[in-house]
Amino acid sequence: MSRKFKLGNLYLGSVFVLLYLPILFLIVYSFNAGDVMQGWAGFSLKHYSELFSDTRILEIVVSTFLIALLSSLLASIIGTAGALYIYNLKHTVVKNIFLSLNNILLVSPDVIIGASFLILFTVMGFALGFTSVLLAHIAFSIPIVVLMVLPRLQEMNQSIVASAKDLGANNWQMISRVILPVISPGILAGFFMAFTYSLDDFAVTFFVTGNGFTTLSVEIYSRARQGVSLEINALSTMMFVVSLLLVLFYYVISTRAVKNKKRSTRLVLPASEGL
Amino acid sequence: MQPVKLCAFLVTIDLLIKSEGWELTNISTPIIEFKNVGLSYGDDEVLKNIDLELEAGKFYTLLGPSGSGKTTILNLISGQLTVTHGDILFEGNIINDVPVEKRHMNTVFQDYGLFPNMTVFENVAFGPSIKGMSKKDIKTKVTEMLTLVKLNQYADREITELSGGQRQRVAIARALANDPEVLLLDEPLSALDYKLRKEMQYELREIQQRLGITFVFVTHDQEEALAMSDWIFVMNDGVIQQNGSPEDIYDEPINHFVADFIGESNILDGIMKTDYLVHFTGKDFENVDAGMRPNERVEIVLRPEDLDLTAIENGKLIVTIADQSFRGDYYEITAIDDDGNEWQVQATNKSKIDERVGLTFDPEDIHIMRFNESENDFDARLESYEGEEDAEK
Repeated sequence: MSRKFKLGNLYLGSVFVLLYLPILFLIVYSFNAGDVMQGWAGFSLKHYSELFSDTRILEIVVSTFLIALLSSLLASIIGTAGALYIYNLKHTVVKNIFLSLNNILLVSPDVIIGASFLILFTVMGFALGFTSVLLAHIAFSIPIVVLMVLPRLQEMNQSIVASAKDLGANNWQMISRVILPVISPGILAGFFMAFTYSLDDFAVTFFVTGNGFTTLSVEIYSRARQGVSLEINALSTMMFVVSLLLVLFYYVISTRAVKNKKRSTRLVLPASEGL
Repeated sequence: MQPVKLCAFLVTIDLLIKSEGWELTNISTPIIEFKNVGLSYGDDEVLKNIDLELEAGKFYTLLGPSGSGKTTILNLISGQLTVTHGDILFEGNIINDVPVEKRHMNTVFQDYGLFPNMTVFENVAFGPSIKGMSKKDIKTKVTEMLTLVKLNQYADREITELSGGQRQRVAIARALANDPEVLLLDEPLSALDYKLRKEMQYELREIQQRLGITFVFVTHDQEEALAMSDWIFVMNDGVIQQNGSPEDIYDEPINHFVADFIGESNILDGIMKTDYLVHFTGKDFENVDAGMRPNERVEIVLRPEDLDLTAIENGKLIVTIADQSFRGDYYEITAIDDDGNEWQVQATNKSKIDERVGLTFDPEDIHIMRFNESENDFDARLESYEGEEDAEK
């Protein structure tokens, strides 16, 4: 038994090593004093200082985060409303149609979504840039939010809705005071999923960025085509750290929500407020 | 002196008439009334032509097995469901289309429906705050309600930190905080253990009496219904089988279903030979029922606690003890008579299995049920011969 267990651990370990080795490799070389990925020339932070003096890349970082934040916020609002609507549909056929439409958007290839948005914006004569990227990101984030919120609604005790009505609440009071607080962990999960999807989306963004505007993933791609500079390693390392912090942040608030205002978890929160 | 007295008398009469007139309209208008109410889902008729009247300030129970339509009636009163046909009236006004949140009644749900994101205080404060009461008034109201259900120490607790019984109390306090004229309770005690249930029965009754508002209580537990109610509606198959005081329903069940559902019963087939003479198990017995056709086929109900075991020579019937079990305050005995009928008897003394003993009962313990007798006919018949009896005396 114990031998089997060790074998399992070994397998799990090797899978994780395989998964994280490229990232580790990339991170290590971001500290290389040399300019290429071959050969270690000593430790240096010069690629980081290059990165921070590159105003273009910093601007792009800011706008990428702005897009991610705005699109995930708006998608959370629209997606939650949509989930509430689907949840309240009485007709099962209509309900299933809506759910299927939602899921198709989730599984359909990004390239197709990106291309279709490009066609749409061009046909409408809509200028490509910040707004077009934002709209596209909101659009592909909505189904993610719906998918995260709907199960919360379904496992919510039906009689709390009945109770709210019974106690005299109108629809809005019922939603804002009872339903939203109860499903908030789902909304939060949807928001973070949408945020990370938006941060690292390449395919859709690639189609709808115009000449002037670009996001990090598109920028990294275009730079990598001209030969990888280690500045990109530095940037990727920073992105990786941010992702880690995001995961940590999500973990902290979601456990706090589960533990329902228990004081002990609050102490952990300040550590992640550096975000 | 005399004219003064007369004058005072006349004034008093006058006042009485005036106040009587005022009160009459109040008393005679039921707080809730169902007129020929039916509810169907497609071809499935859940409720069939229900007529009922509820007076203000009483404790009503809708009693029946699951699927009998009792919760459906409650949901129609609260407004969660709408009628397929017929009218529901509140203080004389039709409320068929009044939405849930506009009705002057509140519900205690079976699974309580407490808001998990709020504390005990916030749960109870929900209704008053929706109404737009001031913070100070809300605090007074919530404190009052939590004191009523003996939970004032628990105001700041989370719902998840409460036991089942405490959640129950929060649900009651929350519903009462809205000052409803009618409180609807949907099997609220079914999730509690036996002892707690007994306690809550007593407390609910006390709360109802103290507040003086109408309670409509739904349960499948006949003991609960008998212990708490002023008036019981026994339901089955979407029809009110019988309504009456707990004593009426227990002592004079209208049909086989009610006799079987409420309490333990020995139910036998028999023939009502003439008034006050009934024939069953091959013998004639004197009884106290009348008003049926000669030689009408009927059912006979004898409650186990009305039967006594005695010496063979004193018995009206001779039975053989088949089984007995100890129930704490009595022995539950199963005995078989010579016709093969099974008798449930509650006896204070232990018996011997296979022993032959006499079975005895009083004429007034024999209750007769006619087949398919409507509640109106049943009431009229009881009244007719009970009146006769009084006249004879």
